[in-house]
Amino acid sequence: MRLGSALWIALAGFGAAVPFFGSTYLMGVVFQVAMWIALAQSWSMLSATTGYLSLGHAVFYGVGAYVCVLLTGIIPFEFAILAAAGSAALFAALIGLPVLRVRGPYFVILTYGLSELVRHVVMRIESALGSFGRMIFDVPAQEVLLWWMVGLAVLATLGAYAIRHSRFGAGLAAIREDEVAAQTIGVPVTRLKLLAFIASAAIPGAVGGLALLRTSYFEPAQAFDPVISFTIVTMALVGGTDSVRGPILGAMGFALLSELLWSTLPQLYMIVLGLTLIVFVLFVPRGLSGLVGRIGGAR
Amino acid sequence: MIAPMLSVRNLRAAYGPVQVLFDVDFDVAPGSVTTLIGANGAGKTTIMKSVAGLMMPIGGAILFEGRDITRAPSHDRVNSGLSLIPEGRLVFPGMTVEQNLRLGAIAPAARSGHSEMLADVFRRFPRLEERRSQHAGLMSGGEQQMLALGRGLMARPRLILMDEPTLGLAPVMVKQVFETIRELRASGFTILLAEQNARVALELADQAYLLENGRVALSGPGAELLDSHDVRRAYLGM
Repeated sequence: MRLGSALWIALAGFGAAVPFFGSTYLMGVVFQVAMWIALAQSWSMLSATTGYLSLGHAVFYGVGAYVCVLLTGIIPFEFAILAAAGSAALFAALIGLPVLRVRGPYFVILTYGLSELVRHVVMRIESALGSFGRMIFDVPAQEVLLWWMVGLAVLATLGAYAIRHSRFGAGLAAIREDEVAAQTIGVPVTRLKLLAFIASAAIPGAVGGLALLRTSYFEPAQAFDPVISFTIVTMALVGGTDSVRGPILGAMGFALLSELLWSTLPQLYMIVLGLTLIVFVLFVPRGLSGLVGRIGGAR
Repeated sequence: MIAPMLSVRNLRAAYGPVQVLFDVDFDVAPGSVTTLIGANGAGKTTIMKSVAGLMMPIGGAILFEGRDITRAPSHDRVNSGLSLIPEGRLVFPGMTVEQNLRLGAIAPAARSGHSEMLADVFRRFPRLEERRSQHAGLMSGGEQQMLALGRGLMARPRLILMDEPTLGLAPVMVKQVFETIRELRASGFTILLAEQNARVALELADQAYLLENGRVALSGPGAELLDSHDVRRAYLGM
């Protein structure tokens, strides 16, 4: 596993060093890859650990983007990003208790519905204010945004690793296996689920803020696009949810695939996304991570 | 007289609009085996769940070692020394025997010295040590019952609640479960046992309560209930 860690560190280093030698195009690709790693890894903090599959993580991304666009120009962008993360976490804390009361398919549908609800509410607010998309002019340099995003990918990965290897993570695993049994052995079930939900929401908020600054354009239908949620889930499941390398592999695989397909056959991308998800769920339940593990002989 | 370890007073519980417990009173003396017997639906599991904190009663009080725990969350109760071995065992099927046991010590009070506790559990149940790397879901019902009990012991309880531990087990395993309960009492544990298998439970119990339709119909030392005409006729088929 030490070799593996060295490999990931080298990868993060490469990502951070790209502005010094890479083209604008390559920077864009690295930004995307880091973004999806951060999102899929954050998602895994709740969904891979507890088995509560969120199909609404776009809502945290969108809340982060919205908060960031409202604050940009008022406070320095670093603080706007932190506020984006904080708002997403706060939003998760507010909705967490009722949402986490339901399990299984109901949780999946509820998170999706909630995300769509917020999307439409924000769209109505924006159109009532007479705004049809907001432009941002004073955005930070591209390389600064890239470093932030790579930093978030690293932070999300370390966070996911720390959770899995802690007592907190052991409690979450017990919840995934059998929630009533977890309660009988003394796991504070409600508290742990809520904490995991908040943890998995914070970084997507910051990611939404950064992605907004990069495109310098806010449009609610885009910021809360459910395709973001679908993509996160697909990447994490295809990558494998048994270990922290799963979301990295899944995010890298899909982000690179989309770069290849986007320029040639953009419509094919969503088809490939769907097909790959089906194939992996049916035939490779442990994902890319499981495949790598089998080849490498590691766990 | 020694103060009871657990006192349940006027316990009332309901599932939605349907009340299932009506002013249930009972005590569990320290170091004893106390049993709740009664037919299916008499309220045994509801009492166990209420004492463990898995459901909130609509009235009454539950005192554990003199402390009112009626509204305490379940993890607080585990942490203060009360452990439920649930009906149906509820082991974590996808985890190994050892992972199951180690999770049993997740309560803060059980953290220190959980390796010694693991050794103690393996000494009591050598079968679990032999199978420590096996997935719990692949074990037989009797082995899963041992595992559930071992996992409960890992929390270092003083009071063990056992809900229908012999349900669905082969007769030879039933005997072993009761043997284990005897050993646990001899080691100083206090046990509250809900059991459909009235005869064996009464033979073992220091104190027994017969439940009927959510009420305590009869109580007394186990041997006394065993001799009672009503109990023999209704529950022992004699």
